[in-house]
Amino acid sequence: MTRRVRLIVLAVGGTGLAALLVAACFCLPGFGGDRHPYGDRVVRASLARHTANTIASVNFDQRSFDTLGEMSILFASVLGTVVLLRQTRDEHRAEPEPEEVALPVRRYALVVLPVAVLTGLYVIAHGQLSPGGGFQGGVVVATALHLLYLGADYRALERIRPVGTYEAGDALAASAYLVLGLAGAVAGTAVLANFLPYGTFNTLSSGGTVPLLNAAIGMEGACAVVVLLARFPDQAVEIEKGDGR
Amino acid sequence: MHHLLPVLVAVPLLGATVLVACGQRLPRVVAETLGCAFAAGTAGLAIVLLLNASPPLTEWVGGWTPVGGESVGIVLVGVGPGLGMAAVASLLTVAALAYSWHYFDDAPRRHAGSFPALMLLFQGGMCGFAIAGDLFDAFVFFELMSVVAYALTGHRVEEAKAVQGALSFGVLNSLGAYAVLMGIGLLYARTGELTLVKIGQGLDRHGGPDALTLTAFALVLTGLLVKAAAVPFHFWLPDAHAVAPTPVCMLLSGVMVELGAYGVWRIYRTVFSGLAVIPASDLERALVVLSVLTAVVGAVMCWYQRHVKRLLAYSTVAHMGLFLIGIGSLSPEADDGVALYILGHAGVKTALFACTGVLLDRYGSVDEHALHGRARRLRGVAVLYVVSTLSLAGLPPFGIGLGKAVLEESVGGPLTVLFVAVSAVTAGAVLRVATRVFFGLGTQPGDGSSYETTGIREEPETRHRLSRVPDTMTAVPAVLLVASLAVGAVPGFAAAVGHAMSGGAAPSLHWTRGRLLLGLTSTLLALGLATLAVTRSKPLGEPSWMAPLRRLQSGHIGDYVAWMLVGTTLLAARALPGILNG
Repeated sequence: MTRRVRLIVLAVGGTGLAALLVAACFCLPGFGGDRHPYGDRVVRASLARHTANTIASVNFDQRSFDTLGEMSILFASVLGTVVLLRQTRDEHRAEPEPEEVALPVRRYALVVLPVAVLTGLYVIAHGQLSPGGGFQGGVVVATALHLLYLGADYRALERIRPVGTYEAGDALAASAYLVLGLAGAVAGTAVLANFLPYGTFNTLSSGGTVPLLNAAIGMEGACAVVVLLARFPDQAVEIEKGDGR
Repeated sequence: MHHLLPVLVAVPLLGATVLVACGQRLPRVVAETLGCAFAAGTAGLAIVLLLNASPPLTEWVGGWTPVGGESVGIVLVGVGPGLGMAAVASLLTVAALAYSWHYFDDAPRRHAGSFPALMLLFQGGMCGFAIAGDLFDAFVFFELMSVVAYALTGHRVEEAKAVQGALSFGVLNSLGAYAVLMGIGLLYARTGELTLVKIGQGLDRHGGPDALTLTAFALVLTGLLVKAAAVPFHFWLPDAHAVAPTPVCMLLSGVMVELGAYGVWRIYRTVFSGLAVIPASDLERALVVLSVLTAVVGAVMCWYQRHVKRLLAYSTVAHMGLFLIGIGSLSPEADDGVALYILGHAGVKTALFACTGVLLDRYGSVDEHALHGRARRLRGVAVLYVVSTLSLAGLPPFGIGLGKAVLEESVGGPLTVLFVAVSAVTAGAVLRVATRVFFGLGTQPGDGSSYETTGIREEPETRHRLSRVPDTMTAVPAVLLVASLAVGAVPGFAAAVGHAMSGGAAPSLHWTRGRLLLGLTSTLLALGLATLAVTRSKPLGEPSWMAPLRRLQSGHIGDYVAWMLVGTTLLAARALPGILNG
């Protein structure tokens, strides 16, 4: 199709879809009403299981099967990236060269790194109590490690980041989630049942299996992001086309 | 028994994590054996559940059984159609893994388990989608199977074509998924529910259909029809199927695309079919135009291909059109027919892809013209190919023939003619390939139009060009073909399928004289077309009106997206009159 025809087709389809969406918006319930049928049920259920953060209760207890699917999507994307960005026969690996880093940047990165890792771990650990949780905390931890790339250089980062180990960690965390879910069937009543004691409301150990599933997701998220962030610069920095110079 | 429903998803996913966790140490044989074992275990479980699916199995994951009719959990539903699709998906995964035994040239270094792991994740996604009883949960597993399919399609990254095909597959299907998600948002805003049945009840309670239900209907259907490759959402499919590794093509054409049609069937039945929502006549009106177009475009494009994998891909598009016509007609006979048809088609189409894979790995080409007469020595493969093709046309007593004949009787009128014509043209095209490639009949055709995609200079997927075809690569298509024969020929099997689909509402699911005649007609037509094409190429040469049709398949993702938006608008416009009157 020529550019002109393509734009005409796009305009026709786009106008139709826009008209549909606008018309649908006028039928939506008003903003800020007091009718929240699902919300009310969810809060009741999460309080009954001593989970202070309702979102965590939805993610890791009430709809933990969805989280299993989402975790598998993340896991599959990481695996897919590893397969697609592999070193093929006609490519070879070049050693990255060390690069000078400005002193203030180096100092800043090295000071912030431990703080950022700690923050990430805190966010994971308090997932069942306060906003945050496994997915979010995992990303914080993983990006924190990459401060080393800014502060030192690519080779320093590679030393603390053996990608193979993180790939295995990703898989182990995912299987931990699955095993915990199957344990629910053995020890409790059904797959992904919350079979542990619910504990005292608003303490670290409350919520039964919620903190455990949350921790598995935290580890999975952190490992997944490390591997993803490793693969793309790898492709750009190290892997080169042809037989080399 | 119902407690085992979530295990159907957990087992393949667990297998994938084990393969990746130990993948760096495992030798390739162990990794591939483990992959097969997990896939086969899941398949066994799916079959056991299927045999116990009456009365329907319902499982609230995590034990969130409704209290006072309300629950916050996710429900999985094990009924005949869903578990049947899960079983087909699992069995085909086993077949594809067996076929790809020691297959790939460069398994990623230190990642021997990654291909079987991706296949297991694909299997888990398909099973999860098939048994979901919750709209959002269905979406999550729909996404899982899509994401894995993109990666598997682009597996041979050395080739630019593979990356392009995977990219257009990824973009189109992701946009479809966004459409579904927006539709779910609208439905949730209206009803405050995510369980399929509850959404349906909520819509019903709200009364007459309005712009919101219409938009939600169009958006949800868009996503599913992108997956089902209905015109004009189909452009990604030939591009992706032509470049995906053969074992992946087997799963894509054999069951993933069909799951899109299954989604349309299931979600329409449980969510939109209420008296006050989208009337059946509207669904029929919305679906029938698109599906007739799909069948015709698929068949015509299939006939004028020389790239064998593209040809098979278009034949899948054409058959999807026929399935969707059956689904749109909403009668128990049609449902039973579609179920049998899908079962038979799964076996035959996978067998055809498997045989084409043998050609690719033996001769480094999938071009009908370049391969002319070169595969004379592959006698076993030739027999498999020809038999598969005849059964694709509807030869009795294969499963496709029975399913198609039941469907043809239930739709009636001009649509019956369309069914016979489409299956004859697609099978005729494949038969033409078989006679030229395996028997060297006719003269070697010259080069066609410059816009054609040839299949020359394709890289074999195996380590080297095969000098001898491994037994697994011929045994798998043979077994699949026998299975698809059994679907139609084993007495009582068809009746059991009918019982699982519609509770035996449509009484007679066996060969009658009329059905035999329908099957034989399309088979003879296919034979005639293929003979004509091979002996006299002039009268069936490419007419001038083909060029614009061919140009629509431009490979430009922007074009495909523009057509997708037009398709959504078309769906809504076709369903609009009923809503205005309602």
